[in-house]
This record gives sequence, structure tokens and C-alpha cells, in this order.
Amino acid sequence: MTAAVTTVTRASRRAAASGRPRRSVALYVSLGWLFLVLASAVLAPWLGFLDDPHRPLAGQPEEGPSWSHWFGTDQLGRDMFARSVWGSRLSLSIAGPAVGIGVVVGGVLGVVAGYFGKWIDLAVSSVVNVALALPALVFALFIVTMLGQSFWNVTIAVTILTIPAIARIARAQALRFAAREFVTVASVMGARWPRLLFREVLPNVVPALASIAFLAMGIVIIAEGSLSFIGVSVGSPSITWGNILAAGRGRLEESPHIALTTGGVMFATLMALNFVGDELLRRLDVREARI
Amino acid sequence: MLRFIGTRMAQLAVVVLVVTLLFYWMLNLLPGNPCVAAFGGAATPEQIAECEQDRNLDNPVIVQWAKWGGDVLTGDFGKSYLTGRTFGEAITNALPRTLLLLAYSQFLALAAAIPLGLWSGYRQGSAGDKVITGGAFALLSAPVFVVGLVLILVFAVKLDWFDLSGYQPISEGLAAHFKVMFLPAVALAAGLLPIYLRLLRTDVIGTLQEDFVGTARAKGLPVRMVLLRHVLRPSSFTLLTIFGIQAAQAVNGAIVVEFLFDLDGVGSLLVSWVAAREFLLVQTLVALISAVFVTVTTVVDLVYSALDPRVRRR
Repeated sequence: MTAAVTTVTRASRRAAASGRPRRSVALYVSLGWLFLVLASAVLAPWLGFLDDPHRPLAGQPEEGPSWSHWFGTDQLGRDMFARSVWGSRLSLSIAGPAVGIGVVVGGVLGVVAGYFGKWIDLAVSSVVNVALALPALVFALFIVTMLGQSFWNVTIAVTILTIPAIARIARAQALRFAAREFVTVASVMGARWPRLLFREVLPNVVPALASIAFLAMGIVIIAEGSLSFIGVSVGSPSITWGNILAAGRGRLEESPHIALTTGGVMFATLMALNFVGDELLRRLDVREARI
Repeated sequence: MLRFIGTRMAQLAVVVLVVTLLFYWMLNLLPGNPCVAAFGGAATPEQIAECEQDRNLDNPVIVQWAKWGGDVLTGDFGKSYLTGRTFGEAITNALPRTLLLLAYSQFLALAAAIPLGLWSGYRQGSAGDKVITGGAFALLSAPVFVVGLVLILVFAVKLDWFDLSGYQPISEGLAAHFKVMFLPAVALAAGLLPIYLRLLRTDVIGTLQEDFVGTARAKGLPVRMVLLRHVLRPSSFTLLTIFGIQAAQAVNGAIVVEFLFDLDGVGSLLVSWVAAREFLLVQTLVALISAVFVTVTTVVDLVYSALDPRVRRR
């Protein structure tokens, strides 16, 4: 018996050891990249080496990447690296509050639905399922044009997109933990529902929600990017990743670096967000959230 | 079976009612007179009065909505106040483009995801599997407009294999048609492929543990046959389910892809109508889109129960 147990642990330890270092390296690289993007977005106004993103003729117009202009310049000679960083500033300051609100609202809805079940679950689940089955961009488009293309309206529109997806995962997690022994034990010991919900179930759902936040961040960045790409996000003088790409689309032939550099930064950021989110979910063994 | 279809039809009706009512209610939150907005500020007082009459603006939201619903049911889908073009004209022009785009991209995504998913699940942990899953992960993180821009840059601008000149119908010749439709379809498929692939791979890894797979191998069936006949078949349910769920996702992508490739499909129609505040048309289009979605999910469920009799009994 003991021998069998040790073999199992040794085998599983070996399985765990192989493959883990490389994953960890990728995880740290992703976290490092995210930190870099976040730091440059936050500190953009105070970074001395960063050009003014609106200043024309910071360099020769439509020049490829060089030492003085890392991402090249656009047709007005504006520095594309500065524009990219300032674009991330706007995209991230929309994604941040959107995901924050989405996690809180979606999390509460999902946990309440999963924990209480019955008609509450039925109500929440049917709304969530309908919302998930409809093309989200149509609604975002509608909300933004209706309310006007301002920072907060775009934030509201993309926040609404995140809530149903997060609620679905939170519900599944709550269901899973509500059935666990420690909850039953607490209930048998006389705990009422507020205690069960807030002290037993909720703390177990929070780590999953935190990792979902990374994935949701990616979804929101893509959603905001799509909106500004088709010209329905925050208005024109503001710089977003999406409108840099939309502008770069017209100049693909002459200066592909405009679209490629910012597109590359965006892609790397999304990949890092997805990787961190996926990896956290894997370590927490959350299956419902995959994809 | 009939009862099943009946329930689903009722659900369909409820969803469309709720969604359109919601939109109508949101429209009424809009500051200013929608009729003034609809003419782009260049309307005579008579035109505005006619429009207000037309849309029952004095009445409560629910009455306006009911009027709109009645018009739609009697075949009056509304027309643009600005251009005079009717909903029917616009949609018959745009719908085939979007449907073809969606069909091509789904086909491409499945055609690539099925062999790749089967193989990477079968050879789990191999170098090839790692490349495939890594590639799928990268594609999953790439927004459709970035993929589309790279495709345009490489295949249309540098290599000049494809056209960006806007939509060409099949009647203009298959070559011309695919010269404009291929890249958009690939761009859209690039987002769907990793989702199908990852699901199929997970499924395959599970199915390969089953006894019947061992039996099929033991009786001497070649690996290819085992994978196609015994492993893929149970996974078809998963693929079908995710197909239904992803349909909505695909339309999000289609809006962006149509914009990127100047295709003037339903997505472009929606964007331009929303921008021009043609809210009656938007309303009808949104109702149509939501109806199509619920129909797709219903059809998926029906196929599901045709494939698996156990579902019917629930």
C-alpha cells in the first residue's frame, strides 16, 4: 500500500516537474510584458523620451522604424511609438473599469444564481443565455451611437458585454462549491445563508474570477478595438489601438509599419493576458471557463 | 418531437419580442427628436410631422413598438427617411454577401480544425501537437482586424493574389468571386479555427481512452479509420453545440471583416444605419438578426436530438 502510494506521488511529481519550468518562464514573460505595457500606459505623460503623440513632423513623414522613432512615423510625421503607448493608455483605461465592474456584477449575479438556484437561477440563466447567443458587437455599436461616442459610453457598452460571460462562469463555480462537504457541514452546524454564501462559497469563487478577469480583459480590449476600428469608439483626437490600426489600413502599401507595430503590440498583449488567465485557471482546475 | 419544436418556436417569439422591446425602450432614452436626427438636420417641418405621425411618437413606448411589430408582420419593414431605400432592397443586396462570408469561413475553419484536432489529440504531447496547440493559442489571441490586416498586407498588397475592390457576385465568375471573398473568409475562419480545434482535441483525448477505440484498433482497423469513424463521431455533438454558440461570435467578426474588406454586407448596413440614426431600420435588422440566432440554436438542438435519441426524451 505505502509502496503504491509513493510510486504514484513520485510519478505525479515527475509529471509535474516536466513541462512546468517552461510554462513558468512563459508565465513570467507574459506577466513582465503586461507590467511593461501597463507601466508605460500609466506613466506615458511623464516619460521624457516619449514624443508628443499629436505633434506633426516629429520626424520625416512615413518613415520606417529607426532608432529615433522605434515604430516609425505616420503620414503626418507623428511618432508611432508614442501614439501606440498613448493608444494603450486609452484602451486600458476603458478595459480596466469595464472588467472591474463586469467581474463584480457578473460575479454577484452568477454566485447568487448558482447558490440559491430555483427561480433566481432560472431568471439569471435565461437572461445570460439569451445575451450570450446574440452578437455582442451589434449591441455595443447600438449603445455607443445612441449615447454618443464618449469615454464613459464606450466603457458602459463593453462592460455590458463582459457581464453575461462572467456570470455564467461564476454560476458554475458557485454550483460546484455549494455542493461541497464543507458547505454542508457549515450548514449542519447552523450557519445561515449569508454566512454560507459570503464565508464559504464566495471565497472559493474569487480566485477563479480573478483569473477570468485576465481573459475578460482580452475580450474587452478586442471589443473596444473593434469599435474604434470601425470608427464607433471614443472620438477622433483621442488615440486608441483600434483607430491607429484603422488609419494604418489605408497606408498598408506605403507604410505597413503603422499597422504592423501597433498590431504586434496589441497581439502580444492579448496573448499575454490569455496565457496568464489560462494558466491560472489550469492551476485552479477550473474547467467551465476554458475558451 | 412536434412539442419540442413548438416550445422552441415559442421561445423564439419571446426572445425576439423581448429584444426588440428592449431596443425600442433604449431608443426612447435618446435625447432629442429621433425624427429630426433621421433626416440629418435637413428636414422640412412637414417631413418631421409625417415621420412623427409615422412612428407614433406621442404614444408610449409600448404602443410605438406594437405599431412597428404590426408593420413588420404585414410586410412593411420600413424605409430610409434619408435615401428612400426600403429595408427589403437593402437587405436583399447585403444578405447574400454576409451569408456566403459566414458559410465560407465556417467551412474553412472546420476543414482545417477537424484533421488538425484529430491528429494533435491522437499525438498528444508530440512536437507536432505542441506546434498546433501553440498556433491555435496564438490565433485565439489575435483580433480579427489584426489578422485581416496582415492577410491584406501579405496576400493582396505584396503578393497581389487577391482583390480588395469590393464584393463580386458569383455571377461575375467564380474566380472573381473568390478573389474578393477568400481573404475575408480566411480572416474570419482564423478566429473560429482555434475554438473548434481546442475542443475537438480535448474530446479526442477523452474518447481515445474508451474501450471501443481499443477494440476497433484490435480488430485491425487502420488508425485513420478509427479516428474518423469512432473518435470523430462522438465529438460531432460538441462541434455542433459550439457551432451554435459561435454563430453569434462569427457575426461580431463579420461586421469587422466586412468593414475591413469593403464588402457592404449586413454588418456594414448595420454600421451605416446606426451612424445615420435610421433607427426603424436598425430595429428591424436587429429583430431579424436575433430571430436568425435563435433559429440557428433551435436547428442545432433539433439536429442534436436527431443524432442522439436520448436528448428527445428530456
